[in-house]
Amino acid sequence: MGDENTVLQEPEARHFLRRTGFGFTKRELDRYTGLTRGQAVDLLYDFRLSTFEPRGRELYDAQAKWIKKMVTTTAPLREKLVLFWHDHFATNYATVQDVRLMTRQNRLLRMNCIGNFKDLMKAINKDPAMMVFLDTDENFRFQPNENYARELMELFTLGVLDAGGQPNYTQADITQIARAFTGWTFDDRYNAYLEGGDGDLDGGNNCDDFYAVGNHDYAVCYSERGPKVIFKDTGRFGINGRDFTEDGEGEAEIDKVIDIIFEHRDSAMKNTVARYIGRRLFEYFAYSGPNVAVIDELVQSSSFDPNFEIADYLRALFTHDEFYVTMESPVTGTRRSVKWPADLFAGTLRTLGVRTKGRYQYVSGGNYIDAIGHLQSMGQELFEPPSVFGWDLETAWISSASLLARIGLMRDATAARDGGGTSFRPQKLVDLELSEPNDIVDAVLEALGMAGQLTAAERQALVDYLGPGPLDLSDYDTRNIKLHGLFSLVLQSPVYQTH
Amino acid sequence: MAITRRQFLSRAGLATAGSFLGPGLLGNPFIRKALADTIGDRYFVVCNLNGGNDGLNTVTPISNGTSGGLRGAYEGARGTGSGGLRLPWTSLLSIGNDFHSQTPLGLHPGLGGLKNLYDLGKVAVIQNCGYPAPNLSHEESSRKWETGDPLGTGQGTGWLGRYLAANYVATDIPAVNIGGTVAGEFSTNATSILTFWSLGGFGFPYDYWEDIDDHDTAFSALYSSASAASLGIQSYIGNSGLAALEATRDYADLDGDYTTDRSTWDVQYGAYDTWLAYQLREVAKVIYGVEQNKVDARFFQVGIGGFDTHADQGGASGGHADLMSEIGNAMELFYNDCVDMGVADKLCIVLWSEFSRRIQQNANGTDHGSQGPMFVIGGTVDGGIYGNHANINSGALDDEGNTVYSQTATDHHRTTDMRDVYGTLLKHWLGMPDPLAVLPLDGGDPDDYWTVPNFDMGFLP
Repeated sequence: MGDENTVLQEPEARHFLRRTGFGFTKRELDRYTGLTRGQAVDLLYDFRLSTFEPRGRELYDAQAKWIKKMVTTTAPLREKLVLFWHDHFATNYATVQDVRLMTRQNRLLRMNCIGNFKDLMKAINKDPAMMVFLDTDENFRFQPNENYARELMELFTLGVLDAGGQPNYTQADITQIARAFTGWTFDDRYNAYLEGGDGDLDGGNNCDDFYAVGNHDYAVCYSERGPKVIFKDTGRFGINGRDFTEDGEGEAEIDKVIDIIFEHRDSAMKNTVARYIGRRLFEYFAYSGPNVAVIDELVQSSSFDPNFEIADYLRALFTHDEFYVTMESPVTGTRRSVKWPADLFAGTLRTLGVRTKGRYQYVSGGNYIDAIGHLQSMGQELFEPPSVFGWDLETAWISSASLLARIGLMRDATAARDGGGTSFRPQKLVDLELSEPNDIVDAVLEALGMAGQLTAAERQALVDYLGPGPLDLSDYDTRNIKLHGLFSLVLQSPVYQTH
Repeated sequence: MAITRRQFLSRAGLATAGSFLGPGLLGNPFIRKALADTIGDRYFVVCNLNGGNDGLNTVTPISNGTSGGLRGAYEGARGTGSGGLRLPWTSLLSIGNDFHSQTPLGLHPGLGGLKNLYDLGKVAVIQNCGYPAPNLSHEESSRKWETGDPLGTGQGTGWLGRYLAANYVATDIPAVNIGGTVAGEFSTNATSILTFWSLGGFGFPYDYWEDIDDHDTAFSALYSSASAASLGIQSYIGNSGLAALEATRDYADLDGDYTTDRSTWDVQYGAYDTWLAYQLREVAKVIYGVEQNKVDARFFQVGIGGFDTHADQGGASGGHADLMSEIGNAMELFYNDCVDMGVADKLCIVLWSEFSRRIQQNANGTDHGSQGPMFVIGGTVDGGIYGNHANINSGALDDEGNTVYSQTATDHHRTTDMRDVYGTLLKHWLGMPDPLAVLPLDGGDPDDYWTVPNFDMGFLP
């Protein structure tokens, strides 16, 4: 049994860096090797909150700035978490149609990425991009729109079913929570407000002038918003459920809805939100389908229930043995996850020491495609998750189309030879004095953080690729044909696609 | 001559196709059906309407029939004026009557292209399709439709994936999905589903310095090793990579062949300039390639999104109408392209959506609903209206305001379980003697669950 005092040997340190950031360099590996798990988390957490916002006039400006941030950041965990929350609170530009709303949400996620999850959830309630995306600003009194209320519970906090297969909420809960959110909109400074909040919308308490006041006259019509009680059947609140006007009617209701949801208990009497978010974070950083007992242990040891502090939960995770079980090469019994395309892109460039170029972050080799193009082809265009469910993960990342895109990225990155600062220079990663194929393969695997990850047969295929030794890597042609090709093959290999 | 994947495998010293076969389905006499004769010549296209298509504004009562009062109920639920979704009866494209209620039905005015095919007798409109205990989550409901196992745990393979697993091996590429991912109904680890956005520029990305043979040999060894791995995810990546490598050769000419030989059709898809038209053009390119014996894909998937119309749905014009037009136009063009290629009688297209939408509209859109219409299109399809219109009267709706799933034989609004449609396709189009082998029956009350299958719905001979 390991704990926070367990020392990270090289394989553990590689795994720690691979999973908490985007790739890593030999220098980073040296910094982390020999630290205890707890010290490694301290070092990992040594970054400041950032108010960075990838602002731009056009969507691709914002996309390029964000991916550049992932490639160049000194706080990879922060960007890795922003990406996680972007998927969790999936909102897409295709629907929102306003770049500023998208980048403001990105900033919100960055500022709250490792803070308090309940605070983040309340902030999302009032996030203009989300309000447009899930129709909070089109949710009217007589005809409530259930879009946000449903996803709030299904995707953001509870999940449809609990770990025991029991439903976490009913359609009645969706309808009533939808009513709590009716009348909300936001102003031209992006501040959310409850329309008619001054109670003097048209000079009178007239609940019938629905159309006359632009469909948003809730504040003067609370009594007509219908039932305000939720979770009569689920959540272990008792047969009377909970009233979300406990803190008063109007603006306070949507915060209260969140407070109540965060007290919801499942059929095993466990905090439902803590288990649900705990599982999602675990699956992002470790592996899919963990035993619920592991999640419960992490939630308890970090006091995620009732505190919902993300940093505490992640510290418990990163110092737990279960976090390290996937570090071995992918043989039977290990659990590997498919790398997200953004992770693959940023991680590969960081590991190779290749920088992107120009306003749109071109990779300057092969097809000279910009970062956005690479991510699109691999199936993860930033700010454009396919739906509110976010991206489909694991094997869904892999198809012949997306795999060819991944292979193309590896070709392009290792073929960047235009001589400038954006070139790939293998001599910075391996010693050109090496001449024996076995030694060259091992050096390349080491440089890419892949030592110990390939089977003997796979490693031999790479040795065979180099042909009979000795090789003269100082020879221009040999280096360009064989050494660049070897780097490319390792990065194209199936095992590199997973972590 | 294209290099086959088998050759790649043998070059890598790992060629034993048998070790890549899927779970023991192959030995099951109920599933295994030799793909001989005409069955193996057929094409099957699945088109998904993502987000939950509003079936009531797709196949709509024109007036009240002899019973049911469906137009009256429709007008009660769908308003006029600003934000109103009601389709005027004069705008609807008449397709005949609902059987029991004798309600005259019409297609959405945007579906003119589909109506043209309907008038030729090539479209089956299958009303009121769904499954027991409707789920209003996009994800959950999609999974139920894709697996064809709505009461199952939602794990595992797609209903077509199970069929493919029983009839093809890992070294085959029987199916093509247009886009970046493998669609849920095709999901299987036992054979390869090729995906691409476009055949233009489809090729393997080599570095110009590289020796291509050396790269292929090493690449094939790495991917064959993964393919043979016992860890599912590595095996899946291995198979996908080998299929990709093979396809970049076999499919390399298809784009040029089609755009050269069939340029007058090519430009018509371009003129529509819609994503669905572009996808169907890629399918047409592959079919053209199959007809020339260059590749052998038989199953295709295309999709169209944007149906989650909680707001700003529109009626005879607007967002939903645009989607209807996109479908009607693209399907008509693709069908006629297939007629011209001489393959229309070998073609069957099925359209589905994860659910329909709430009967009562909200301010300017609709929330999630339950059963909705499916369409089957093809040269040998027996066109017409199948199934019963759902009972949309407010008193007949469930607590959420959605239509109710019913298998009661005497119910004039009896639901068509989507597995009856799948089973009819499997049996009458794909030659599977007993579709129950991939579509397990429900238990439970026969009025509320699918316990009596009907795999002879009649829309295919």
